Amino acid sequence: MQLDAKIPGGPLQDKWDRHRFELKLVNPANKRKYDIIVVGTGLAGGSAAATLAELGYNVKNFCIQDSPRRAHSIAAQGGINAAKNYQNDGDSVWRLFYDTVKGGDFRAREANVHRLAQESTNIIDQCVAQGVPFARDYGGLLSNRSFGGAQVSRTFYARGQTGQQLLLGAYSALSRQIGAGKVKMYPRREMLDLVIVNGKARGIIVRDLVTGKIESHSAHAVVLATGGYGNVFFLSTNAMASNVTAAYRAYKRGAVFANPCFTQIHPTCIPVHGDYQSKLTLMSESLRNDGRVWVPKDPKDKRAPADIPDSDRDYYLERKYPSFGNLVPRDVASRNAKEQCDAGKGVGDTQLAVYLDFADAIRRDGKDLIKSKYGNLFQMYEKITDQNPYETPMMIYPAVHYTMGGLWVDYNLMSSVEGLFVLGEANFSDHGANRLGASALMQGLADGYFVIPYTIGGYLAGESLDEVTDQHPAFTDHTKQAQERIDKLLSIKGKRTADDFHRELGGLMWDNCGMARNDKDLAMAKEKIRALKAEFWENVLIPGADKDFNQSLERAGRVADFLEFAEIMITDALARRESCGGHFNDAFQTEENEALRDDENFCHVSAWEYKGDDQDPEFIKEPLVFENVKLTQRSYK
Amino acid sequence: MNWFTSSFGSSIGKKLLMALTGLCFVLFLVVHLAGNLTLYGGGDLFNSYAEHLHSLGFLINISEFGLLFFALIHIITGTFLFLENLKARPVRYAVNKTGGGRTIGSFSMPYTGLFMLIFIITHLLNFHFVDKTNTTIYDIVTNAFSNPLYVMFYVASMVVVAIHISHGFWSLFQTIGFEHPKYTPFITGLSTVLSIVFGVGFGFIPIYISFIV
Amino acid sequence: MTTAKTINLNLKVWRQNGPKDKGRFEEYRASDISTDSSFLEMLDVVNEKLTIEGKEPIAFDHDCREGICGMCGTVINGRPHGPEKGTTLCQLHMRHFSDGDTIAIEPWRARAFKVIKDLVVDRSPLDKLIQTAGYISANAGGCPDGNAVPIPQEIAEKSMDAAACIGCGACVASCPNASAMLFVGAKVSHLGLLPQGKPEAAMRAISMVREMDRLGFGNCGNERECEAECPKEISITNIARLNREFFKASFFSSVM
Repeated sequence: MQLDAKIPGGPLQDKWDRHRFELKLVNPANKRKYDIIVVGTGLAGGSAAATLAELGYNVKNFCIQDSPRRAHSIAAQGGINAAKNYQNDGDSVWRLFYDTVKGGDFRAREANVHRLAQESTNIIDQCVAQGVPFARDYGGLLSNRSFGGAQVSRTFYARGQTGQQLLLGAYSALSRQIGAGKVKMYPRREMLDLVIVNGKARGIIVRDLVTGKIESHSAHAVVLATGGYGNVFFLSTNAMASNVTAAYRAYKRGAVFANPCFTQIHPTCIPVHGDYQSKLTLMSESLRNDGRVWVPKDPKDKRAPADIPDSDRDYYLERKYPSFGNLVPRDVASRNAKEQCDAGKGVGDTQLAVYLDFADAIRRDGKDLIKSKYGNLFQMYEKITDQNPYETPMMIYPAVHYTMGGLWVDYNLMSSVEGLFVLGEANFSDHGANRLGASALMQGLADGYFVIPYTIGGYLAGESLDEVTDQHPAFTDHTKQAQERIDKLLSIKGKRTADDFHRELGGLMWDNCGMARNDKDLAMAKEKIRALKAEFWENVLIPGADKDFNQSLERAGRVADFLEFAEIMITDALARRESCGGHFNDAFQTEENEALRDDENFCHVSAWEYKGDDQDPEFIKEPLVFENVKLTQRSYK
Repeated sequence: MNWFTSSFGSSIGKKLLMALTGLCFVLFLVVHLAGNLTLYGGGDLFNSYAEHLHSLGFLINISEFGLLFFALIHIITGTFLFLENLKARPVRYAVNKTGGGRTIGSFSMPYTGLFMLIFIITHLLNFHFVDKTNTTIYDIVTNAFSNPLYVMFYVASMVVVAIHISHGFWSLFQTIGFEHPKYTPFITGLSTVLSIVFGVGFGFIPIYISFIV
Repeated sequence: MTTAKTINLNLKVWRQNGPKDKGRFEEYRASDISTDSSFLEMLDVVNEKLTIEGKEPIAFDHDCREGICGMCGTVINGRPHGPEKGTTLCQLHMRHFSDGDTIAIEPWRARAFKVIKDLVVDRSPLDKLIQTAGYISANAGGCPDGNAVPIPQEIAEKSMDAAACIGCGACVASCPNASAMLFVGAKVSHLGLLPQGKPEAAMRAISMVREMDRLGFGNCGNERECEAECPKEISITNIARLNREFFKASFFSSVM
């Protein structure tokens, strides 16, 4: 297979305008003749479903939760970037574009990222018009903050709940279309398969999670906005139901998967504290603006943090990166925390944590100022850990947070399967090897509000699609396959729960395909995961019945897909013979232990095509061409 | 349904009816209490007050019919609300615990209301629909409160009225949407004050009478 | 994190196979529960054990487990989301319970919320309320600049206070009358306070109240239980504002 990104010609800043002009249009009266399936109701899916319905298409929208308002976009805290330059501090579309490409360690497409930066300003206008209560200055104008080490203030926010407010905006637009009858909403549905007819995506198979019934839904195009796969690590900041199944099923039907090894590990999360733990909680990285990260110099030093004098503390980020200090990018901060813990200097019961200390900041600025800045985060920390961060340093440890990899898409956000579009975190397109803070929300909404409405029209107008209903043999066949898989899962009646397998898989992935990787461990993990997968299909225990509300069965299906998907991540990690962004291979580092890119040989997107259950996927290369930015080595010294 | 009936037929509309009629009763009680306080001035004063009141004639009739009409609205609407609320939770909780919002007044509104209905009927039978040809109203009052059972019933009723008002008064302002960070604390305070004033003001009369008789 | 210990608990859990089943309490023992675990993690442990024993685990809704998605929620000893103020069930930690405690766990109970299974209820009526009018009609594209209309900080903050609603339904569950007034009040306030929401304010108040009545929620009794139990501590000020908006819309607007 050849991958054509279909990047329009012309100067970078004109590509999107030009492309929008060149895209064919669907006559307004004809839009109602097209059915579009949107899977997912997060920022990308919700905004796409609403906008497509506003244009006149018939939309069927599916979500896994009981309501479209619960998609995990809701948990984003920090904010959303936009190149508004309201602060007059030198921001511009070009600067946002450049920061995003550089932040992604030069592994994203210039054209996509530039379009993202262009559309960012429209997003803010759109959200304000919808009633998103962004923070405002006393004069009533929109307020901004600097985020994630950016040198300009371009982040818009609504307290620490920006994701929630943006999602509620998209949800309200979606609700309006549901009320108007233009969107048919299907909550508590899980996508089990993609249906391709004559080479084009024409529908999906879903399971009704309440009744267990398997349903077929046909359409003229399918849009996946099903989020990332961070839960392959079992413990992550993702929601419990976040999974790879929809994307992985599409992959098995021919959509290629790009850069699966690019995962983002967020440095400021609350550490793991027991075997029973089900998820990790992230705290905004703004904490690093005032908190100082340290560990005891002596691994054997077991004194309480307050009893350890400054001379016995190692403020390792400030020591190693004098100019950026505690504000180094996420990947660098995370890797360094792991390095300290690996050297035995970790703190807390599990020794898998480092201190984030506010004592100096409180001495300098006073408790009140620190409280006004971080009060809600301190409260959240205390609620979970029962420790008061005003008095004793916080303990933090990195956790899996976001996945930059995803289904491969071209400039139109169409996957390698015609008629299958992929938006948001589920695609791979805009963040390269590392995502900057406050950029995920921007991408989800840009894709949904301002990209897909144009590009899907171009596709539909340019194709003559056959009449396909859900009675087509492909649907009956895929329904049968989905049912057989469920029957098989239920018939195993083994001894271990799906969660138990998931936890073991997560441990293997975290230890060997997490923050720092090496060939030997990756290969070993791959073998172990294969064995675990084999055991899963012989020994998993799923209680309950098929035609019922059965959460154990739901989980088992997802874990089965994670077990297979984990292998692709490792295959990709092994194939990328360099370190970049979220992928760090010990064998490729500078003398200062920084990620060492190989721009000559690996300045490309690694895409993987499914070739059968027992075979490695086939590697497909999409070279990345940089015409507008100069590739540089990131340095934060 | 036209806009009028659908507005008043809605849940907020019904609450609005309760609030507005409730407010009328509070105003009535203020006047009623002021009049009754003349009892402390002795039989003559009280009788002349009653006489003066009845000399208003037509005005009094209108007020009486008005109060009766409001009472019917309050009772009928309240009954609807009560039944609808019961229906809104067909399966009850096995364990009930308050989160700190409810008060004695708030949770007992329908029951204190019912009790007050019984009281008002008794009260009217005792003092309003009686043959007053050969006696004065003061005599009727003193006669009635010479019976300790009556005194107890009246005092208990006034406690119930106080409880009903303790929630009803501030609640009616919340329902009509009169809510403001500057004035709401005053209204909630006034709610307590009013319920005490009505409870003590009306409740002490039978005790006082029973002592002087 | 350093003071973790384990406790044993007796659970009385509501089990119900579906909306038509009558349902009953069943008793389980939760042993060796770490006080650092969350309430939902405690249920995970119980479920893992039930599964291994060949029994059917307890069905309960949950997703983000960080207190923002609004998916979780059951009534713990008569209190929606448990005894802690301003806390969702997923953020309730077991250190707030003592060894040997008996904990009764029930689903949200309201006519509008049918039980799907065990502790899982159907909260789609809340979605229906939003679909009726809980939005500002602004199609994507063509919106004026975000700073075109200044919004006083105080108004933006008040709007945000109301917009913090996570749609969990605890207000309905805690209300003695199973009323949804806090939910509707929060949405009417969130949108109605903003200049962008004013054009549709009258229509929104009337439509949402009518839909709320149609869906079988009870009537507000101003008992303030919703405010006391709301995990986002949304104030009944928003209910007063809804009353006001409804009054204005009913009698002073041309919306029929």
